[in-house]
Amino acid sequence: MRKLQLVVIIGLMVAVLMPSLALAGGDKASALIVVADTRVITETDYYHGFMRYLADAYNTNIVVFAIWCTVLTALYGVALGFLMDFLMSKTGLDLKSRKIIEH
Amino acid sequence: MKNIITIGMLILALVFSVNAMASEVIQGECLAYDASTNIVKVKEFDTNFSKEFKYGRPTANESELDLSNAQIGMKPEPKDILRIAYKVDGSKKVGLKVMNVSKQDLMKK
Amino acid sequence: MDWMIMYMPIAGVKIFWPGLVLIGFAVGTIGGFFGMGGAWMVTPGLNILGFPMAFAIGTDMAHIAGKSMVSTMRHSKFGNVDYKLGLVMIVGTMAGIEVGAQIVMVLERLGSVESVVRWVYVGLLALIAWLVFYDYYKATQKKKQGDVGEHGAEGITWYKTLHKIKIPPMMHFKAAGFTCSAWLPITASFVTGVLAGFLGIGGGLIRMPALVYLIGCPTHIAVGTDLFEVMISGLYGAFTYAIKGRIEIVAVFVMLTGAAIGAQIGTVATKYAKGYGIRIAFGIAVLCCMISIVLKEFKFNQAAAVLILGTIGVICAYIVKIMIQGAIEELHEKKSGNATVKAVH
Repeated sequence: MRKLQLVVIIGLMVAVLMPSLALAGGDKASALIVVADTRVITETDYYHGFMRYLADAYNTNIVVFAIWCTVLTALYGVALGFLMDFLMSKTGLDLKSRKIIEH
Repeated sequence: MKNIITIGMLILALVFSVNAMASEVIQGECLAYDASTNIVKVKEFDTNFSKEFKYGRPTANESELDLSNAQIGMKPEPKDILRIAYKVDGSKKVGLKVMNVSKQDLMKK
Repeated sequence: MDWMIMYMPIAGVKIFWPGLVLIGFAVGTIGGFFGMGGAWMVTPGLNILGFPMAFAIGTDMAHIAGKSMVSTMRHSKFGNVDYKLGLVMIVGTMAGIEVGAQIVMVLERLGSVESVVRWVYVGLLALIAWLVFYDYYKATQKKKQGDVGEHGAEGITWYKTLHKIKIPPMMHFKAAGFTCSAWLPITASFVTGVLAGFLGIGGGLIRMPALVYLIGCPTHIAVGTDLFEVMISGLYGAFTYAIKGRIEIVAVFVMLTGAAIGAQIGTVATKYAKGYGIRIAFGIAVLCCMISIVLKEFKFNQAAAVLILGTIGVICAYIVKIMIQGAIEELHEKKSGNATVKAVH
């Protein structure tokens, strides 16, 4: 678990620090600008509030949007992993003897 | 695990510290764009999209936006349909990002 | 039907979300089952569902990152990572991804990103299909000859020559147990990174053979190190595509949910699957995917969508069937086993 921790930390650090380099490279290549149409997202429930927040972040501060994307994706991935582990252990199948193949 | 949580907190703090993110979006037809002053004049469209009015119907509103500091993709020309994210600064509308909706075939599909 | 259409706030397109779940589920199932990244069908799949290509690639990248987190967390395979090698390779991988992403942006500006990416994909899928069928051919050949002809030994020694190249800095990798010029892993990971960033795939398909044959890594170290690279490249890819404004985060979540469920089914199904027939099915699926992309290129959009979703659906259903059948049998056996034990006592 310690090693794993280290890896996750390094991964996060790298993921957070690298974009500054990417930004320094200039945004010239992205000549196509996309603006999220926040006019269409009007409902005020949580789901749309979240959508609106993301779309606003996308329009005004792309770095914030990018951090959210990376962090949320990672967190959601981990959460799903744990949830699925839990569910699978409930099925009563013998999962220890399986061949572990991944990616 | 503690370290991960700490890092997560730091990131969240970073995210929330940049909170002045409210912006508006307007879409409409470019009436005029002055490259020297970077002022664009837009006839606003509404959000009633339909087959005939792919980009919404024209309204009576016309807006002027300052695009000096905006990210501009394809250069706006009169008759182009633009979608602009802007902030209101006093009485001025300051453009942040300009998307040339009609010229950009990224969205044509 | 309205509730089946989800509005994607960033890309501004309306997407048939069950299609997204199906793609995610299929990638999970097929990836888990064959032990191969299934990401190669996500980018074209998203594109066919109606995402602009640049969005499809970025979204796929983020989805890979999430998926790799799942498998990493679950298997803690990092015990087998050569960290030094992994860190050296990150340099190449990240630089490569950035270059790949930049190529996409330049092509997008030139207006030819869709075509180019599609054709590169067709090439890649042709290669995968060839590998699968060649593998099958070799296996049946061996069976016929009674396992006499032993090949493969020649290919494996490429790295010995490569290790002789002594461009400083030379590095020793303890866990992997070899010494070579740092430029060897950097170059290999850079090339993989470019392809990964360009196509929005994890790149394990290319990185694994590169690690084993070109760099000379023992297989178990290669697996761990590859997973490590996939995670990093996925996260970095997600970030860099997000910075470029080309990620539809909502779609990522929808797909991830499907993928997490699929991955379980796929991995469990490997326990019950036997024989080479399934490999052929996989090869055919890859070919169908390839044909679908070609159809899309020539604007037969409907046919392309039907073909790719149909193929994915069929192969998924097959794997699910294997898994359910196997699971039922196992649980049944367990029950009757318990019953006999009780009867004896």
